[in-house]
Amino acid sequence: MSFADYLGQRWPVIGVLAVQHAEMVLIAVAVAAAIGVGVGIVVEGHPRASRVALNITGTMLTIPSFALFGLLIPVLGLGAPPAIAALVLYAIFPVLRNTVTGLASVPGAVEDAARGMGLSRWARLRLVRLPLAWPVVLTGVRVATIMTVAIAAIAAGVSGPGLGQLIFGGLARIGGANALNDALAGTLGVAVLALALDLLFVALSRLTTSRGLG
Amino acid sequence: MISGDVMIRLDRVSKHYPGQPAPAVAELSLDVPAGEIVVLLGPSGCGKTTTLRLINRLIEPSAGRILVDGEDVTRVDPDRLRRRIGYVIQQVGLFPHMTVAENIGLVPRALGWDRARIRARVDELLDLVGLSPETYRRRYPKHLSGGEQQRVGVARALAADPPVMLMDEPFGAIDPITRERLQDELLDLQARIRKTIVLVTHDVAEAVKLGDRIALFEPHARLAQYDRPAAILAEPANDFVASFVGSGAALRGLRLERVGALALEPVEVVRPGAAAVDRSARAVLLDDAGRPVRWASAGSRGAAGVAVVRTEDSVYDALDAMVRARDDAALVLDAHGDPVGALSWSTVVRRHPAGDSSPAPSFGDAR
Amino acid sequence: MTLTAQREESTRLSALGVLTTPALVVVAGAALLAYLRGQPLDAIERRSINVQVVLARLTEHLELVGLSTLLVIAIAVPLGVLLTRPRLRRLIPAVLAVANIGQAVPTIGVLVLLAVVVGIGTREALVALVLCSALPVLRNTMVGLQGIDRALIDAGRGIGLSRATVLLRVELPLAVPVMLAGLRVALILNVGSATLATFTNAGGLGDLINTGIVLNRTPILLTGSVLTALLALTIDWLVSLAEHVLRPRGL
Repeated sequence: MSFADYLGQRWPVIGVLAVQHAEMVLIAVAVAAAIGVGVGIVVEGHPRASRVALNITGTMLTIPSFALFGLLIPVLGLGAPPAIAALVLYAIFPVLRNTVTGLASVPGAVEDAARGMGLSRWARLRLVRLPLAWPVVLTGVRVATIMTVAIAAIAAGVSGPGLGQLIFGGLARIGGANALNDALAGTLGVAVLALALDLLFVALSRLTTSRGLG
Repeated sequence: MISGDVMIRLDRVSKHYPGQPAPAVAELSLDVPAGEIVVLLGPSGCGKTTTLRLINRLIEPSAGRILVDGEDVTRVDPDRLRRRIGYVIQQVGLFPHMTVAENIGLVPRALGWDRARIRARVDELLDLVGLSPETYRRRYPKHLSGGEQQRVGVARALAADPPVMLMDEPFGAIDPITRERLQDELLDLQARIRKTIVLVTHDVAEAVKLGDRIALFEPHARLAQYDRPAAILAEPANDFVASFVGSGAALRGLRLERVGALALEPVEVVRPGAAAVDRSARAVLLDDAGRPVRWASAGSRGAAGVAVVRTEDSVYDALDAMVRARDDAALVLDAHGDPVGALSWSTVVRRHPAGDSSPAPSFGDAR
Repeated sequence: MTLTAQREESTRLSALGVLTTPALVVVAGAALLAYLRGQPLDAIERRSINVQVVLARLTEHLELVGLSTLLVIAIAVPLGVLLTRPRLRRLIPAVLAVANIGQAVPTIGVLVLLAVVVGIGTREALVALVLCSALPVLRNTMVGLQGIDRALIDAGRGIGLSRATVLLRVELPLAVPVMLAGLRVALILNVGSATLATFTNAGGLGDLINTGIVLNRTPILLTGSVLTALLALTIDWLVSLAEHVLRPRGL
């Protein structure tokens, strides 16, 4: 069966798997974004705390994903939970780093003016610093998303959901009729999903960033 | 020395930074009268900016008391204090993600004003600083020139109508021509709103131009002299002041004197086609529209036309006009543009005040 | 695909930082040993968890990582140099665009596709590893070379050095920090990708993890996972030291 015929026949399944994949990634990234931005707000302005937080979350990126999934299985069992947990651990670093960088890059004069106007610490954060850091923070979330889309393909190796199931299915049926089509659909599906989410973030960034910036 | 209400009082205020041997500000006492512009002037590192930031508690004093409108600011919540004190800085610090209107309306919003009131206030303030609300309300800071940004910065500082405004080198980053204009506008504005303004600069000319009083700082925020500009230029308290205001002090002082305050010589006005009548007086030839063309008498021979000033101009401007016209006298016009006399070089140098021996200008109209 | 690409600029050497990783590795290794000692291992577990098997898997893993990394250096560095020469420089934006898209392709997909199309085994796994980790090295070689002040190159040419000498004596040494950062990313990627080689019968520590999952044996799973993680941390630590030592003085 040609790849086109295969796609024509299997698109409903592929679609379901793609949605699963995206769900898994977006849940993980949402959790990681909340943690990353929260921790970033807390540690920003404290160089030592920032360095410790960045080093710990950065070290997570060194650990091979299959090993991290494996470490989480005894705690969380097989399937989606260890996969999502691992993705969260990976996705925190880019969000945290960009939050710290974004907040730190707010010009001193702007911060000074905000303080001189009598805005409280919370008001400065909410009205001035976070909106100014927003494009950078959003870029961090975007990087985290693209990165985790690819990692999430390994989730199927621990009985997780998503497009990885096509890849592992192809592997299991090597020599079989649709092995190549499955593997190709899974691999390309992940890449296409990553690019689609990338575009989504570009659009989101355009829509949510003040026209006064950039 | 200061009569009337004191708006800001610094009472033996000191600021020590840990790990630094010398205090940034040592036992400084200073009274700022209500409704005046007081300029903190001094070399860089003299603690003038530190002093300014002590007033709105962006820097906390180590010792001493600071009273604003009779209230000890160290006992007030700093954020609420700052909403009552406008603050303008050299880099302006407009919020780049907010429009001009949002920037100006931020403090009123924080104070809980309703939308209609904020909007009206924003428009009023834009008018006040000479920016058309229609054009500028929705613009972002990046679309403004440096001068426009600083105008918006001033409008933002005035948003909640604070009685006090602190300005830290507000025109320091602006080109000289725009700076002159913004200084003039600030004086115009101040004539209308009568705020108590404390302004930091290291530019003697700016201090002399803007200040009702100048507080001149030596290093470590020691007050070298606190007086009216003319007094500081005429009678420097010590060698430091004398050297800081520099060799141009006498010339700078001329900026503070009005042409109308000096004795003017009589001028005869000659219309086209007529001849001068009184040979002893200076005569000026006007064109059909009543504009001065050249001196008609022999005594003056300005090579570059007639130097023209108005009674409200400074003597410095008159000298400038004379030098440019390469002449030793300037024709003085009143507020309606009618000639009232001539100011001569020697009058300026000898400082003859008006009323000494000034004969009324004679108008020998020979129609 | 580039898990670690984000870390490039975040790691700095500090006295404490230098010692943290080895300490962590030792403690985690000891904890794993203590756990295994306290665990009554059944026959299946003993078959996987013994010194010979673990050492064999470790050796396979290191071979995969070492060979793929050498191949990446041999391919990506000359390619990067070539692409930054005046004649080919206009191709760089296109190459970078392809490289960025390439980041979205999952390693496991490349591995499986090669297995399906070419066959299973170590050689095919090596090809997949090289394909996936060449991009950061290529990218950083180009970026590093392009980031060099043109005036320095002109100065080198001006005092009469040949193009080749300028490349070897001026451009490459100055680009070393950026290139090393790319190499570090590639190495970490390879350590991670090599754990997936088990799926195409190429061995490595991933074998232990996969066996643990398939046979539902936690001790095997943990042994594989912990050892892989510790190996990655150790290699990353060694490269960070090398980065520090190899950085040209004066930069």
